[in-house]
This record gives sequence, C-alpha cells and structure tokens, in this order.
Amino acid sequence: MVDAVSSMSGRAAPRRPWWLTGFGGGLVTALPVLLIGLAVMMLAPNYHQNLAATAAINLIIVVGLQVFMGNSGVAHLGHSAFVGLGAYGMAILATPVMMKRLSIPNAPLGLAQVQLHPLLAVAVSLAIVAIVAMASGRVIARLSGIAATIVSLAFLIVVHSMFLHWPALFKGNQGFFGIPQVVGLPGVLACTVAVIVVARLFRESPNGLQLRATAQNAQAADALAIDARALRRQAWLLSALICALAGVLYALLAGTISPRIFYFQQVFMTLAMLILGGMGTVTGAVAGTLILSIGLEMIRSLESGVTVAGIELPAMLGLSGVALGAVIVLCMSLRPQGICGPYELDEMLTRALRRFRGGR
Amino acid sequence: MEYLVQQLVNALAFGSEYALVALGLAVVFSIMGLVNFAHGEVIGASAYTVFLAAGLGSPAAAVVLAVLAAMVVSVALERVAFRPVRNAPTTTGLLTAFGVSIFLQNLFQLLISPRPQAFSLFNGMSTTWHLGPYAVSSLQVMEFVIAAVAMAALVLFLNRSTLGIAMRAASRDFSTVRLMGIRANRVIAAAFAISGALAGIACVFILARRGGVTPDMGFSLVLKAFVACVIGGFGSLVGAAAGGILLGFIEVGLLAALPQEMGGLKEALTYVIVTLILLYKPEGLFGARRELGDKEF
Repeated sequence: MVDAVSSMSGRAAPRRPWWLTGFGGGLVTALPVLLIGLAVMMLAPNYHQNLAATAAINLIIVVGLQVFMGNSGVAHLGHSAFVGLGAYGMAILATPVMMKRLSIPNAPLGLAQVQLHPLLAVAVSLAIVAIVAMASGRVIARLSGIAATIVSLAFLIVVHSMFLHWPALFKGNQGFFGIPQVVGLPGVLACTVAVIVVARLFRESPNGLQLRATAQNAQAADALAIDARALRRQAWLLSALICALAGVLYALLAGTISPRIFYFQQVFMTLAMLILGGMGTVTGAVAGTLILSIGLEMIRSLESGVTVAGIELPAMLGLSGVALGAVIVLCMSLRPQGICGPYELDEMLTRALRRFRGGR
Repeated sequence: MEYLVQQLVNALAFGSEYALVALGLAVVFSIMGLVNFAHGEVIGASAYTVFLAAGLGSPAAAVVLAVLAAMVVSVALERVAFRPVRNAPTTTGLLTAFGVSIFLQNLFQLLISPRPQAFSLFNGMSTTWHLGPYAVSSLQVMEFVIAAVAMAALVLFLNRSTLGIAMRAASRDFSTVRLMGIRANRVIAAAFAISGALAGIACVFILARRGGVTPDMGFSLVLKAFVACVIGGFGSLVGAAAGGILLGFIEVGLLAALPQEMGGLKEALTYVIVTLILLYKPEGLFGARRELGDKEF
C-alpha cells in the first residue's frame, strides 16, 4: 500500500491546494498517453489506430479499478460488470430502431421503439449505472475485506448471467450488433486523459487521502473519526462510472458487443495490468497498461501460431493467460507495490529534480 | 414424497461437494489468512492427472491417484507460490492466488486442450439404488457419506493429534504456536495437504458425475465454495461445512421452484440470496467477532 504520510511529506514544501496538485499531476501523468496516442494517430495505419483505441479503453478500465482498489485497499474483481452495463446501456438505447426490430423485438418497456441521440444515451446509461453502483456500493462498503471481494465477484456473475439469460433485453449469448460507430481514437484519447485527471483529483482530495488512510490502518483511521464506509461508497461509485464510460466507448467504437467480452478474461487482464504497474498510484495504472498492452499483442501473435526463421510454431492457445498469471504472481512476490512504486509521475519528477539540484 | 426425497438427496449431495471444497479453503485460510483461489486448479490438476493415467484401468487406483495428486500439487503450490507472500497483507495473498489460478487454468489449456476431454473410468459409480420404496442415485448417497466420513476424520485429527491441535491453535495465534516450538512450515504444509486431500475427494465425485475434464472445472466450483465460506463466516470450519450444505439446499430449492425457462437464472439468484444473507449478518452465520491474536482482519 502507498504510504499516505510519506507521500504528503515528499511533496514540494509550500502547501498547494489539493485540486491544483491533482489537476497538474493528472495532466503530467496523462502526458505520455497523450503523446503516444497522437503519434499513433498521425503515423500508424488504420488497424493500429483501432488497437490503440482498444488499449486506451482498457486503460480507462484499469484507472477505474485503481480508483476503488488502489485507494480503499479492497480487492475488487467485479469491475467488468460495470463495463458491461455501460456497453449494453448504449446498445439498447442508441441502436437504430430498424436494427432493434431484428435483434430485440420484444424488449420490455417499449425499448425496441426507442432510439436516443448517442450523447443522450451516454447520459442515460451512466445514470443507470450510477443507480446500480449506489445500491451495490451500500452492500460492498458494509463488508470487511475478503467478504467484499467475494461479493464483488458474485456481482460480476449476477450481471453476466443476466446478460445471458434475459434475451428479450440483452439478446443473450449472441452479439448485439448495429450500435452506431461514432467514436474513434481521438474521442477515446480525450476521455482517457479526462479520466486520468479525475482519478488523480480523487486520489489527492481530502476524501481520497482519508480513504487511503483507512486502507493503511483501519483502527487509526477510525480513531480520527474517518467514515470508511461512506468513503468506500464514494470510491465505488466513481470507479463504476469510469468503468461504465469505458464500456460506453467500447460499444461506440466496436459497434458489436457480446456478454463474454465483459467477463473473467477482461477482469484478469485489467487486474494484471494494474498489479504490474502498482495499484497505489494512477501512474502505476498507466504504466502497467502500456507495458502489458504491448506485451500481450506480441504474445497474441505467437498464440495463433507463427513461422519464425522457417520453423512453424504450433498454435498455443492459453499462452497469454499463462503470461498474465505469471505477471500477477511474480509481481506479488517480488514487488507487491508494482514497478512504479509509491509515487506518482509528477512526484517522481519533483524528487528527481530536487536530488539533481541538491547534488550540485 | 418420492420427489421430495429425491430433491433432499440431491441437495445433500451438492451440499457435501461444496462443503468438501469449502472446508479445504477454510483450513488454509484459518491458519495463514490466505484466500486460496487456486484451490480449484488443485482439483483441475488432480483431474488431469487421473485423465492422463486413465490407462491404469482400475477405478480404485485412480481414486488413490486423484487424492495423492491433489495433495502433492497443493503442497507444491504453497512451497513455490504462497511462501513468499506468507506474511504479506491478505489482499496480496488473495491476488497471488488469483494469479496462480489463471496461470494453471491456461496451462491446462496450453498443454492439454481448451476443449472438454471425456473421462469414463468412474462411470460405474453411478447406478440407481432402491432404498425401501425410494430410488436414489448411488453416486449422490456415496457423496454425502464419504464427505461426512472425511469431515469426521478431519475433526478427529484436529482434536486428537499434536499436529492437529497445533493447527487449531495456529488459527487463533500463530506466533504463540511457534513459541511453543512447533515448526511453522510443518503446520502450514499439513494444512495444504489436508486441503489438497479434500480437493482430491471432491475431484473424484466431479469426474464421476460429469464424465469429463475441462480447464476451468475447478474455478466455478471454488467460486461457489467461497460463497459457502463467506455465508458460514470466513475461517470457521463448522461455518464452511454448514455454508456448503446450505448452498446446496438453496441451489436445489431454486432449481425446483423456478419454471423451466428461467433455469439459467439459478446461478444469479443463488448469489443474490447469499448477498442478502450477508447484508443481514456481515460476519457470516458462524463468524462471531472474536479476539484473533496475531491475525489481521
């Protein structure tokens, strides 16, 4: 866990207001993402643009996961449920009526006849997710560490089986297609930057600091009259909204969604990304996602069987999963705080700068 | 009446299977605070071992092999993966176990096949017995009886042998147990061996019922077993067993009560009911708050 006290004292001496630190720090943290994204946008062919957009959506999910898990210290394994809810919200609300007559003609509440403007659909989807998150957050915040984790998993399974077994509304096992593809890499990138800044603002806010304190020592935080449950509920809600936004973007980017995208596979992958980078910081979320996105892309090409120097390698299904598992296990035993350690990017830079000045 | 008896046997059989797996989780958790997600892959590893050794031909040898393989894998996992995180916070252990679980599941996929593999050696275990006027499945009766015997043996071991008493003491306060001159590694290895043996027994029944092996066969079962542990109160052995049986009754009850076309919602409703129980009793049914020595949670 991040040492909240030492990260306070590690900051520049005159105390700046928290929102300035959060906002500035967020922009610094988002800068590498923005630069890579712009470079891809200008130089890379279409196929790579799509890959980059998917990676950026994964980054939004990982940051959303970090907001709850990194600050509260409670392992959360159900965040993909919110991604799925966001995506299906878009699918149901924004898909043209013509398409829905084919796919979900018998939707309840006359939803088959509804077609909202994408922006309005985003707002409605996020509002619905907020309601679900507030209800589930009340349950999660009441439970202690392990029980909360198991219930978050149970939540994922409940939502997934609702997608599967309520075909009138969610179209069941088959893909839901025909969602208007109105978002490209620029839109996704803008949302990613905004989400990183929001996550940093929450982390630096008084509430975020107090929540991190409850993760470090629950009794001491209690003694300071910190209401851990209320803070956990806030973080849960914010995390859910960020994950849902990722789902919304995914639906608008891909145009086709199916329930199994938002299940364990995604949970494993985003969790490994967060753990690799370090769950205590937003910088960790960004770094882990960047590294693993590139790594996984290389492994995937191996997985389908390639020819290296004239030797044809067989298809190796499951290789990426093995790699993800190994990343989690090795990180946890060798460097549980992740490769980035307890400091955010801007904090690392100020410290390096100060050391450099002091050295002279 | 006939129907009722059958459903009762059904619920007891499912419940004992959950109880076996949940006990395996609780034994390890109560001693070292590890939430062992990889327990399902111990079952998987045991199943694949038996599958690969299907040429043995004799079901009895295969049963012994399944239990032994599960014990060896379980102890080996502790040595390789869980020892480095033994004194780390609960979340670190949980995530490590989650990683081990993903790793092994995909390794089975990579080395053997992502598709289900048929396995027929245990098919002979499932016949119909006529107990008085009622026809019941032999497999289900055996499942309940053997689970009960295994639990009785566990209780005996925990109450009578030195190692068992040390394990119970370790679940309260490990540091004091070590001060008494008991080796920590031995207590923990014993916990993993017992947990593995229970997984091996469960594995035999799963193979007999399903007649096949899949890479994720243990994972979904372990999720249920976790839920059983949470209902019973995490770390309590009685709670794990009772939670498992209760879960069996909830599932079979839902299956009987729901109309055919809503059968798919069984899973979801089970979890919803469990969450409601937890809302009413966040500590679990048997998990009274007590002073826990050096255990943090």
